[in-house]
Amino acid sequence: MKVTFPHMGNAWIVIQTLFESLNVEVVVPPTNSKRTLNLGTRLSPESACLPLKLNLGNYIEAADEGADTIVITGGIGPCRFGYYGEMERQILQSAGYNYDVVTLEPPNGSLLGLAKRIRYLAGTNNSWAQIIKALRFAYLKSVALDQVEDLIHAARPRLPNSMETEKIYEDAKKLLAQTMTVKGVQETVRWVKESIRESQEKVDTPSEGFNKPLRIGIIGEIYTILDPYTSLGLEEELGRLGVEVDRSIYLSGWVGNHVFQGLAPGYRSIKSYPGHAKPFLPHFVGGHGQETVGAAVKFAREGFDGIIQIFPLSCMPEIVAASVLPRVQEAYKVPIMTLIVDEHTGQAGMQTRLEAFVDLLERPRLQRGIGQTRGEVFGVGGR
Amino acid sequence: MKIGFPRALFYFDYFPFWAGFFHRLNIEVVTSPATHRQIMEQGLKKASDETCLPLKLLAGHIQALKDVDAIFLPRMVSVEPDTYTCPKFLGIPESLFPAVPSGIPVLTVVLNWRKGKRQVLKDLQVFGRQLGKNKAEIRKAFTLGQEWQKRYQDSMGAGWDFEESIREIERAQKGLKDSASPPECGRGQGARTSTSAVSLKEQNTDRLRIALVGHSYLTQESYANLNLLGRLREKTEVQLVQHVSQEDVESHLLGLRKKLFWNHAKQIFGSGNKFVRDHEIDGIIYLSCFGCGTDSMVQELLAWKAREQHKPYMVVTLDEHSGEAGLVTRLEAFLDMVERRRVHEGYVSTYGERLDRDSNTL
Ligand code: SF4
Ligand code: SF4
Repeated sequence: MKVTFPHMGNAWIVIQTLFESLNVEVVVPPTNSKRTLNLGTRLSPESACLPLKLNLGNYIEAADEGADTIVITGGIGPCRFGYYGEMERQILQSAGYNYDVVTLEPPNGSLLGLAKRIRYLAGTNNSWAQIIKALRFAYLKSVALDQVEDLIHAARPRLPNSMETEKIYEDAKKLLAQTMTVKGVQETVRWVKESIRESQEKVDTPSEGFNKPLRIGIIGEIYTILDPYTSLGLEEELGRLGVEVDRSIYLSGWVGNHVFQGLAPGYRSIKSYPGHAKPFLPHFVGGHGQETVGAAVKFAREGFDGIIQIFPLSCMPEIVAASVLPRVQEAYKVPIMTLIVDEHTGQAGMQTRLEAFVDLLERPRLQRGIGQTRGEVFGVGGR
Repeated sequence: MKIGFPRALFYFDYFPFWAGFFHRLNIEVVTSPATHRQIMEQGLKKASDETCLPLKLLAGHIQALKDVDAIFLPRMVSVEPDTYTCPKFLGIPESLFPAVPSGIPVLTVVLNWRKGKRQVLKDLQVFGRQLGKNKAEIRKAFTLGQEWQKRYQDSMGAGWDFEESIREIERAQKGLKDSASPPECGRGQGARTSTSAVSLKEQNTDRLRIALVGHSYLTQESYANLNLLGRLREKTEVQLVQHVSQEDVESHLLGLRKKLFWNHAKQIFGSGNKFVRDHEIDGIIYLSCFGCGTDSMVQELLAWKAREQHKPYMVVTLDEHSGEAGLVTRLEAFLDMVERRRVHEGYVSTYGERLDRDSNTL
């Protein structure tokens, strides 16, 4: 058995670690790329959401490297993600790929069923204690990855050499992927901190934006905000424009929810979001729609200069969120821009939009108070 | 008190329940008129661009409700255990506030059958307090709503027409103000016992038999679907999702490894799958709309089944710009193809045409 799984930003580091510590052979698919998307789009229903297309591309590319079993998390709706596993299984089957698909979820609510699936993947050589230890360690890594990302978010607008910052980030990811000890994980985080401090000290006359860069909160569909290929490098791009970003959902929060069935809170808990969303959207709407609204409120209250919502074309929960965000914008006088991505979205259009938005935020507050409009929706191709 | 009920989305399927409910409470319900151009245009203006056509229509119908004391926009989370409606239903009413004319209050209540009847009743009672009704009154209203809904659903199998059935209910509301007896069920009355569709054998055997599947608020929405149902009826015997009995739906879901968790998707796939296997059905048309999340999956699941069984299958995707000419051409081409196939019984070369895939947007 050679296990593979779909990409979602840095999630591969965590999942690879999990399987390797259980001695399960794992194929990490090549990073999301144009090729991945093209391969996936060819097999997908035209109107499927973007993550499904990328997932399929990942599987096809992983099959070339000998993968024969797919592991994916599940759900029971109401967003489409819960049905991905079954859809993907059938699509691959009819395209002639011989994949076994294991969905990590309690089938029809049965935890025993879930345990059986985990057992199936982990084989008989692993005791439950070992499995739990492996899960713990993987979770630890996901938290460390989030800490590193946070540091990088802060570093990007402040350090003069963006290449250097990205290099630190890439190296840190490599280190985290390799290390198999708790100590190694902690040291990597420390190393990132130190590297950033060193570069910081090299700056003798901090620019004006150094201490108080613009702050933008990123909210939206989880896959898009966690996966830089899908968001067309949204965070990096904003960093280059001198913006410090924060986002509504971090990887460990997702791991805590999906792998630990809600038992682990994640590096930054998303539990407070529904409460914040309440005056605007008091009911869950599937996916992270309500969290998106709640996070917008939270960012606004914390005095962020602007908010960007990003999601794949036709994403149902986020469309609901998008239609109530204008009221958040009005209540808190915070500009909110919505970006919608699909397989035709181009880098150039994205960049123009981001520059314009940052421009809008940089205008003096006084001017901004009046005549504030909601950044209109980013036009997408394909329609 | 006069409550406005938009003739869109949950109206198709669930209006009988709410009509019975409010009837028992002595609250007058007025519906918006059938969709016309202006309603559509108003909807496009006030709904968010990215959303699907049915939500845009709903936004239009909300604005078409005049002279009412409040507009009723229930949050219909789930209509049966273990399923949801669609995320967009869950975001009602908040996502539609921009469409509500200023000054008119919105009444809403959560309807969630996932948690069972007791919870539904409890939520309705909380709602009842806003209306100044006590628990006992709400319980009675709930019972009558259930009764009307059941009567309506049972008679579907008898070839009942939705608009007609609603007219009956509306008449009953006006005429039988103080009586709680359910309305007469149109021509369905005698055949209420029927479990499945009208027996096709009794019908004209020369005509093609086409199944039209899709969300009720698309198949029954004759303005938005450019009268597709009417056009089909002129030329063929039409079967709808609503004509398939619940047992048939359930038994045709069994092949799925994972249960579908959207109520409409279950109905559409279950009955679609039955039509695929039904030798009396000559072809299937899946009516969808641009941007529908659940259809993007279900239409593909059904396409596989249709291909497996060599059943002619066509997807029609509506949006607000859909033109009549495009629809007519495609419909004719499809019916011709089905006709040709019927002449050469068992001849399956059309299979390769993949009518279900490319360029199905009108
Ligand atoms: S959250 Fe949106 S993009 Fe993600 S699976 Fe659900 S519908 Fe698709
Ligand atoms: S099921 Fe489809 S058409 Fe219906 S509201 Fe949801 S997305 Fe729109």
